[in-house]
Amino acid sequence: MQTTIIKPVLGVYTALFLLFLYGPFVVLGILSFQIGPNGGPQFPIIEWSTYWYQHVFGLTPPSRIAPLPIYEGLARSLSLAFMTMIVSTVLGVMSAQAFRTKFKGSDVVFYLIVLGMMVPGVLVGLGLALVANSIGIDRTWWSTAFVLHVVYTFPFAFLVMLAIFNRFDPSVEEASWSLGVSPIKTFRKVTFPLIFPGVLSAMLFAFTLSYDEFSRTLFASGRDLTLPLAIYGTFSIEIHPNIFAFGVLTTLFSFALLAVYAILMTVSLRRAKRLAIQEDA
Amino acid sequence: MTIATPAPDSADTTPAGPVARPSRAAYWLIAPGAIWMTLFLVVPLGMMVYVSFWSQTTFKIEPILTTKSWVAFFSSDTYLSALWTTIRIWLLVLLSTFVVGYPTALFVGLFVKNKTLATALLVLCVIPFWTSFLIRVLAWRPMLGKEGAINIILQAFHITREPIEALLFTELSVIIGMTQIYCVFMVGPIAFMLGRIDPNVIEAARDLGASFWRIFRTIILPLSMPGVIVGGIFVSVMVLGEFATAAALSGRKVNMLGNIIVTQVGSLKWAFAAVVGVILTILMGLVVAGFLRIVDLKREL
Repeated sequence: MQTTIIKPVLGVYTALFLLFLYGPFVVLGILSFQIGPNGGPQFPIIEWSTYWYQHVFGLTPPSRIAPLPIYEGLARSLSLAFMTMIVSTVLGVMSAQAFRTKFKGSDVVFYLIVLGMMVPGVLVGLGLALVANSIGIDRTWWSTAFVLHVVYTFPFAFLVMLAIFNRFDPSVEEASWSLGVSPIKTFRKVTFPLIFPGVLSAMLFAFTLSYDEFSRTLFASGRDLTLPLAIYGTFSIEIHPNIFAFGVLTTLFSFALLAVYAILMTVSLRRAKRLAIQEDA
Repeated sequence: MTIATPAPDSADTTPAGPVARPSRAAYWLIAPGAIWMTLFLVVPLGMMVYVSFWSQTTFKIEPILTTKSWVAFFSSDTYLSALWTTIRIWLLVLLSTFVVGYPTALFVGLFVKNKTLATALLVLCVIPFWTSFLIRVLAWRPMLGKEGAINIILQAFHITREPIEALLFTELSVIIGMTQIYCVFMVGPIAFMLGRIDPNVIEAARDLGASFWRIFRTIILPLSMPGVIVGGIFVSVMVLGEFATAAALSGRKVNMLGNIIVTQVGSLKWAFAAVVGVILTILMGLVVAGFLRIVDLKREL
């Protein structure tokens, strides 16, 4: 039959597709081990070395290649991502909680929130820069850029929480209310522990999206650059393998973040399961 | 949060209690988010439209309404060609993400029967998103360059004798880069829709003697259309709002509307940047509305 040929063909195609997705990274990773400071960002590898990794950390003797201006940017990006994560997650949980009941205008509000992740960074960035200009406030990473990061990541947190609440069994809350526990205490003691895995996912989304955010930040932050802006600045000049080494390192950092998330997730799921067993007993 | 009504005495016996109380609370819960989005998303976009009609002098803008910036946009060849470049790149990337992504989605969504394997394949597609967007763009430089990996491979297999220089710093490199970055947004929704096709339908068609091509054309493709539309909307919105990939992979030779906005803001031509922003917004609105006309998503999903 025809399908017996089609399946392997598509399988091979999918493998090639994955090669297309990963190829550039592999090449970037290989070239990051080029010899320095004279080896360029291209093949062949003259000699394998970790020179450019040392260069990123400032461990090499000074050479004609300037170190990457990443450290201040890194500190800013991490604090910005942290602030964004907290605010977006809180807003996301609150809004999703509101959506558990049908309220007037909920359709409009839903689209309003989702719009935040759909509108491209250039447009909101430009718009907020114009607003800041006309009311005469300075644009900085911790004010204007921060509010835009929340505009961008809050919808993700909201959608994650919406999905969590969709599968949530409200009878446990009703039981708590009927025992006379106040709604706020019910939320803290009953609802929150049950939705905590979702909260973790929302936090992960908000943090990583903000940490990596580029186009909104470009317009909305002032002179002090965040990490992605500092990296973008190096694109215009000649590139060296140090930026490849940095790419490998930042990717590893992202995976470390994912690992932390996975660990927290397993722990919290296990705890939720244990709680459920206690309830049954 | 101020919730005046006391907690209901019993859970669901009084329908008015549990319904009325949460809906009051709902407004308090939704207010911060809704206000945030209005102030920092709707107001800025409105401001953009407003400022596009302001008067621009060399370094500043004044709220004296004029259509000068609009006239300047439509009477300049540079800007009209940027509009055309944006539309062309959008169409080409849309087509290439569809062509490149569909077979993978077909394999993952329809042919892989093992759910774990299908999930694993999708996760493999998403992992690259875990790295920085800019690094993903930059990774194409050593691939496509004159001494890049692709040229080396082509020459090693004696497919080409001279390195192809047209691979990097051209519109082609921008399209290749964007295809890789955005095709996953096509694969995901399509694979999702394909996974929902009832295998019995395909089985029945095959029993009745339909060829694979016929089954694909009359069953698989139409049923996957909502996925194509959703993927198309994602890719379109992101590509139309692009500027970084175009700048980094074309050596600033390819200028999309996004690049124009960046340069205009850089030279403090705010009113003009706002005009380009409004045009971009209108373009996006038209594209999304067009997609939504093809398939009624509310009904299909």
